Amino acid sequence: MSTLEEILQKAENLLQPYAQSSSRPETNRLDVYLARENLIPAIKVLVEARWGYLSTITGIDRPAAAVEEGQSPEEGEIEVLYSFCSGAAIVNLRVRVPYADAVLPSICPLIPSATLGERELMEMFGVKVEGTPDTSRLILADSWPEGVYPLRKSFVPAARFSGGAEGG
Amino acid sequence: MTLEKHGENRFVVPIGPQHPALKEPGHFEFVVDGEIVTGASVRLGYVHRGIEKGAEDRTWTQNLYLMERICGICSHIHATAFVQGVEKLAGVEAPPRARAIREIFAELERIHSHMLWLGVAAHEGGFDALFMYSWRDREVVMDMLEMLSGNRVHYSANLIGGVKYDLTPDMMDKIREGLNYLEERLAHYLDVVNNDETFIGRTRGIGTMTREQAQLLGAVGPTARASNFAYDVRVDAPYAAYAEFPVEMVVAQEGDLHARFVVRILETMESIRVLRRIFENMPESELVTRVPRRIPAGETISRVEAPRGELFYFIASGGGEKPERVKVRTPSLCNWGTVITLAVGHKLADMPMILAGIDPCFSCNDRLVMVKRNRQDPQVWTWADLRNYGIEYYR
Repeated sequence: MSTLEEILQKAENLLQPYAQSSSRPETNRLDVYLARENLIPAIKVLVEARWGYLSTITGIDRPAAAVEEGQSPEEGEIEVLYSFCSGAAIVNLRVRVPYADAVLPSICPLIPSATLGERELMEMFGVKVEGTPDTSRLILADSWPEGVYPLRKSFVPAARFSGGAEGG
Repeated sequence: MTLEKHGENRFVVPIGPQHPALKEPGHFEFVVDGEIVTGASVRLGYVHRGIEKGAEDRTWTQNLYLMERICGICSHIHATAFVQGVEKLAGVEAPPRARAIREIFAELERIHSHMLWLGVAAHEGGFDALFMYSWRDREVVMDMLEMLSGNRVHYSANLIGGVKYDLTPDMMDKIREGLNYLEERLAHYLDVVNNDETFIGRTRGIGTMTREQAQLLGAVGPTARASNFAYDVRVDAPYAAYAEFPVEMVVAQEGDLHARFVVRILETMESIRVLRRIFENMPESELVTRVPRRIPAGETISRVEAPRGELFYFIASGGGEKPERVKVRTPSLCNWGTVITLAVGHKLADMPMILAGIDPCFSCNDRLVMVKRNRQDPQVWTWADLRNYGIEYYR
């Protein structure tokens, strides 16, 4: 049984050729920042070394700081985390793409079960995932308008319960 | 359409969204050739509530109650995953007794969840006597949860930094008594599952998944462990009090529906054993630790073993009153991939049981839909419209 540190060290060594930078924000976690073109090679090296499993894909909206009050900033980025787990160890592969060019390659050829995560990413954040096998809606209603991505910070739910308990 | 192309009768059978075998909404399309399924697809989202978005608009404390409401079966485990993440961000640890109580609630929840599943799955197999018995017995554990927390479903045991409820020796005695009864019943159910010929006919060799498939398809929890894919967050990355009171991992080799029954029943028995061990050595301490008023900026990942498998929370704090982002990946979502793949080659009549075999939880998947205000379409009602309608109606 290798220790937590050895497992993380192995991942760090594997990913080192592709990493822009990396950090250890928690004792059981390694964050590796990647350029978009290195995403597929980095995932491939983890899959081939049988390092853990893909636990989930998380999107995070990183809007640019608002220029003026009430003006929604046009420039911003979507950060995408590919979280791999092996025992207690977690490796996050982190990629940032700008709004204007929010495109990522599909990792389904390497990990078929990523399809649900990629569909969620497309629907909720408006990231185009190139080559993903299924682009149909997974979660949002059929009548949901095109081009509206609810998990972007700029999306504000319109209908809020306005009576009774605060905030609701 | 494919009739002339293949010279055979192929047909798409839509199942759902209402009650697709289970009393929860999901839509499936099975392509069949005669009785045999040749393809399958899934459409989720019918109980999608916008919880991840909602979390960004609520304080840390409000979110605790919101997360607990993601699921009505495993409410405690969601709250546990959330508070453990927040505690990590805040740099505090719950006191030993609080962590033990978290484990107690989690294991009682696992018992009730697995027994609920046993009943549902038996019902899908047409074995309603087993359904009624297992649900009758499940009431024993529901009573325990009610005794501890006053609630049957949303126990709300967690606080950021600890727990609300303590266990008195008297309560532990009552729970022990109930556990003895449940253990006896579970041994009986294990016997039924292993020896009832009709039941075996419906489960053995059905929906078989190899270890490699389980890994490739991303299966989690008992579904994965029934295929000898041995991982359990409680064992691999102990949280709460699992380091002090460890559980034994239950795995099976066969990977079929039958193995999923056996694994879940044995896991329930293991939960009973670990509960007894906790009661024997219940740590003494405070129930709550002090938590800084502001949660410092940072990111964390919190993983726990829900009854259905690994539950994953990513929590990001910007140092404000509300989280920047909360991502929830529930175990059911991982297990869907297995159903769609395993369905192929089986009889249509086996679909309800294969669906039920992963113990799917739809509310867990569908966290994110919003009620949309659409002025062009008066059929779509907003929450406020619905509320006003309700008030007017009962006036």
